[in-house]
Amino acid sequence: MGRRNRSGASKGGGLRPFYLVLALVAVVGIAALGYAVVGGGRGAVLEPIEVEGLDDPRTLVAKAEGVAVGDPSAPAKLLIFNDFQCPACGNFAAQVTPFLKAELVDAGKLYLVYHDFPLVQIHRHAFIAARAARCAGEQGKYWEFYSALFGQQDRWSSRPRAPLDDFEDYAAAAGLDREAFGACLRSDRYADVVTANMQLGRQLGVDGTPTLILNGRRVRNWQGYADLKRLIEGEAGG
Amino acid sequence: MDAGPVETGGVAAPLTRMGIAVLSLAGLFIAAYLLLHRLGVVGTLECGADGGCSVVQSSRWAVFLGIPVPAWGVGGYGLLFGTALAAVQPRLVGDRRVAAALFGLSAFAFAFSLYLTALEAFVIHAWCRWCLASAGIATAIFLLSLPEIRRLRRG
Repeated sequence: MGRRNRSGASKGGGLRPFYLVLALVAVVGIAALGYAVVGGGRGAVLEPIEVEGLDDPRTLVAKAEGVAVGDPSAPAKLLIFNDFQCPACGNFAAQVTPFLKAELVDAGKLYLVYHDFPLVQIHRHAFIAARAARCAGEQGKYWEFYSALFGQQDRWSSRPRAPLDDFEDYAAAAGLDREAFGACLRSDRYADVVTANMQLGRQLGVDGTPTLILNGRRVRNWQGYADLKRLIEGEAGG
Repeated sequence: MDAGPVETGGVAAPLTRMGIAVLSLAGLFIAAYLLLHRLGVVGTLECGADGGCSVVQSSRWAVFLGIPVPAWGVGGYGLLFGTALAAVQPRLVGDRRVAAALFGLSAFAFAFSLYLTALEAFVIHAWCRWCLASAGIATAIFLLSLPEIRRLRRG
């Protein structure tokens, strides 16, 4: 093909297919951006966000609010750093937490505080799960949703995309207002709180889940509920 | 490397330049999306929770010389698109200044993408798929701009 066009060809006429391709790319790009802004904009925040002021310990502690159960003046305080997508946390939720609540929290011996520590590098839905549980907590159903998340962990963990519909189903089944829960889930609400929880955990040396901190000391190598109960009762004075 | 020309009423427009125009327009939209996220207009980046886009975007490396990196992308791809669009016009096909601008901008975009990708890999330790897509586009544009060297030498 020569570099000179035959005479008489309309000027720029050979560029028409090129301009058509450009127009196609432009239409697709504008439509995608429009959808992102109008349709998909301000959707569910799935990852940690930047939170200002967490370098200040007082701001961090205030922001990294846990979900607590029991009497704050109980002699033993147990912090649990939790990841909803972590199988070990699922075992803990099934085999330990119910007994902690029934035998120690209800007896006024233990103040239990759950903190979020989603291991986002290996558990892709852990952050949104933590946010979802907080959204359920808005309607006073944190623990019901907590049980549903761990009960269905295998199912939603395997989803290729964020399991928002699954979470809405669990919320509805747990008696939550589905619409209000969905609005919370599909926003950035509690993204700052969960991010602050993660930062608090890192500052406390948390490197896995579940991590237990009893009255300021990390609990290591505990062997089942009976062993943990013995440690807690030791702190609580028997 | 250089693909066949398209006749445009007297002078042939190289397909490589058309490719650069199309790719830079696509890159422009990706950069615009990342910029909208940075500005808070788009609340989430739809690239999978393990993509780490938010981690990358909220890192201190997301700003270069006081300007958000996605804004550099919008500016850079915009310039590339404009230059490539000019470069396919019959009266500018043989213009050495256009060839030099196209190659220079492409090389800069490629080098900047390499720098950003290295930051993701070795400093931030998180990957943003949209950023990687942009890096891929910048690489392809650079490869398509290599024939401009020959045009420059040829004068």
